[in-house]
Amino acid sequence: MDPYLRLTDVTKSFPGVQALTGVNVSAYAGEALALMGANGAGKSTLMNILGGVTMADSGDIRIDGKVAHFRDPKEAARHGIAFIHQEMALLPTMTVAENMFITRFPSRGGLIDRASIEVASSKVLQQLGCAIPTRTKVRDLSPGECQIVEIGRALLSKARIIIFDEPTSSLTAREKDQLFRVIESLKKEGKVIIYITHFLDEIFQICDQAVILRNGEVVGGGRLKDLTRSEIVTLMIGAEGTSVTSISRGKVSSDPVLRVSGLARSGVLDDINFTLHSGEILALWGLLGSGRTELARALVGLDPIDSGHIEIKTNGKLHSVSQRQTKQWIGMVTENRREEGLLLPCSVRENLSLANLNALISRVWPFLDRKKETRIGVELVERLNIKIHDSEQAVKTLSGGNQQKVVLGRWIQRSPRIFIMDEPTRGLDVGAKAEIRKIVNELAAGGMAVLLISSEIEDLLELADRYLVLSRGRIVAEKPAGSTRNELIASAADDSLI
Amino acid sequence: MKGLQSFRYFPFVFFGCIAIVLAFIVPHFFTVRNIINVLTQASTLGLMSMGMAAVLLVGGIDLSIPAIMAFSGILGAMFMRAGGNPVIASLIMVSVGSIAGCINGLAVAYLRMIPFVVTLSMQAIATGAAIWVTNALSVSGIPTSFMNAILYKVWIIPLPVIVFVLLTILFELLLRRSLFGRWLYSVGTNVRASRVSGINTTRVLFSAYLFSGMMAGIVAIMVTARLSSASATMGSSNVVLDIVSSAVIGGVSIYGGSGSAVGVMLGALVITLISNSMNFLHVPYYLTLMIKGAVIIAAIAFDSFRKK
Repeated sequence: MDPYLRLTDVTKSFPGVQALTGVNVSAYAGEALALMGANGAGKSTLMNILGGVTMADSGDIRIDGKVAHFRDPKEAARHGIAFIHQEMALLPTMTVAENMFITRFPSRGGLIDRASIEVASSKVLQQLGCAIPTRTKVRDLSPGECQIVEIGRALLSKARIIIFDEPTSSLTAREKDQLFRVIESLKKEGKVIIYITHFLDEIFQICDQAVILRNGEVVGGGRLKDLTRSEIVTLMIGAEGTSVTSISRGKVSSDPVLRVSGLARSGVLDDINFTLHSGEILALWGLLGSGRTELARALVGLDPIDSGHIEIKTNGKLHSVSQRQTKQWIGMVTENRREEGLLLPCSVRENLSLANLNALISRVWPFLDRKKETRIGVELVERLNIKIHDSEQAVKTLSGGNQQKVVLGRWIQRSPRIFIMDEPTRGLDVGAKAEIRKIVNELAAGGMAVLLISSEIEDLLELADRYLVLSRGRIVAEKPAGSTRNELIASAADDSLI
Repeated sequence: MKGLQSFRYFPFVFFGCIAIVLAFIVPHFFTVRNIINVLTQASTLGLMSMGMAAVLLVGGIDLSIPAIMAFSGILGAMFMRAGGNPVIASLIMVSVGSIAGCINGLAVAYLRMIPFVVTLSMQAIATGAAIWVTNALSVSGIPTSFMNAILYKVWIIPLPVIVFVLLTILFELLLRRSLFGRWLYSVGTNVRASRVSGINTTRVLFSAYLFSGMMAGIVAIMVTARLSSASATMGSSNVVLDIVSSAVIGGVSIYGGSGSAVGVMLGALVITLISNSMNFLHVPYYLTLMIKGAVIIAAIAFDSFRKK
């Protein structure tokens, strides 16, 4: 069988970056192709070329055997290519049917033919096995339903090649199952599916073939039934650095640096008591909505509290501090680095110094010491192995892993006594995750106390010295280091502990 | 913080082009008298635009600057008319401007009100108060010592021009090198990330409006001296148009987070040149307004384009 979509020798370079080199990809009708690769491997560039957003320097795209050139996204759409976006690309105030027909409303006598769009859209949704009422406003839908609507829109536009970019990142388990059923049915209809994700499980569940990119080149691939998970991971991040080098941090000290007592916020946090020791990595474990993020934010004064005491070690003793003061000693990595972490258009230097500006005032005059700022920035770039060509480079041009290192570096520059990290590895590829974990480990080994929140259970299993299990805003259990994955999952799911 | 580096010199290029074109089409343009005149006008506009720039940098807008300027000038002028000391009168003008800026700042930063609505209302209040206290008449009878001191000439250059140049240099330094400048850029770029990084974003927002009001007060001194009187019409709402144009032509982004003081200075010169030469060429007022409006839209279009 000939592939329906074939990319041959696709090469693309941006100023200073060779994004893709001689990439060959084939995708077959009725199959799902997994496109894998670490952040910065070239997946986005490849998809942008396929979607008509950018043009390849050389190489060609063949669809159904015919060479196709896309100068803009519209042309790509005309060739039957549809994207299901990571962020929902729907209009929240319009109805399901309107969203599905937004690019080409059928009209009758100059007015939108509402009856026919309702009929057509509900027919497509039924085909997808979903009974979403077509007159519902999109803002009232769940993320999973929105995705179905997007798929429906793609089908209505007669798409043959449907590209999913991290489709499950905001879905519940049930919605994920439904999405997979839809993808299966799309495959049966002979569509070409291109599936991009960080989750290996999903690939083995839904895909038939895989292509693995690294540094802009295809490094491997083939039929998934001939591949193993570890082979794919090895291909993605290269042979070296696959396993995390765990530094032996020795025994955790019993030297308390943070003590929280009776912390409460109505409906969110309830009587939180714990102590954090120097050099300790304390994991806050619990399901989404258990109060772990809310606790972290309350500790640094980003969210209010109703009652409770926070004590921090200063001058060798624990002192009671107000919520507003805690920032002086606590470094904070928020869960959403683009919204609450970085000044995206600003340079790496400016982002690294943001939390430490007071210390960068020159001794001579009341202005910032630019030389010192640059020097400290360059030191951090080297120490954290941030991949940039110049510290004046804008942060928005970095890959996710390097951006996260910038956020970490900002606080490391201040050498806080306590570090709170909320989802430090979210959205990163396997290699970048390992690097972030290594940094966290080193910081704790150096005596910093870390409060770690992560949905990636691997992060916790590898790093945590102790677990606090949260449920509905309360600490319901404490688990020692060495707890197994199953024990943790059971403890988070176990309401009887309350 | 600088957006695309290649666009940094846009205000310089724009200023150069306008100056060259005008030199050819406007008779008597390059006379010492006219150039000094342009510079003097540009200094009052420019200083108000600096205030606006600080507010735009943090992602806000201040429509009340000219109205506050007029009201401050009137109170100072009335004080002098009643025999008050010109130095104290000047302090009154700066204080009144600052207090009005404070109120804007409190409303926007602490009460989280929308800048557009707050400052538009402040404009109405200040203009109303100005008409009320003056009975819609102009306040004259200001001692000549005040005019002589403020319009003092160093060689042939009036004091306001010197103050303008010095303050521009100071602001440029503040913006590029000081903690406060860095805070303004950072809050304008991403207020949430700034808060997480320990910056008191509320105070930074407040300070920007306070600064803007203070600039209005300083300019009130210059304008009152130049007109040797003060009236509610000094703060006509068309001046807001000129202030916004100066800032955006000077490369200040209306989306916050980028801009420079030197750019704003050039922006003010460009706007003054346009007004000045329209006068020379006997272009009717309505057409001047239309041209200025079009220039703002072009500059903002350029700004949006640059963001992409």
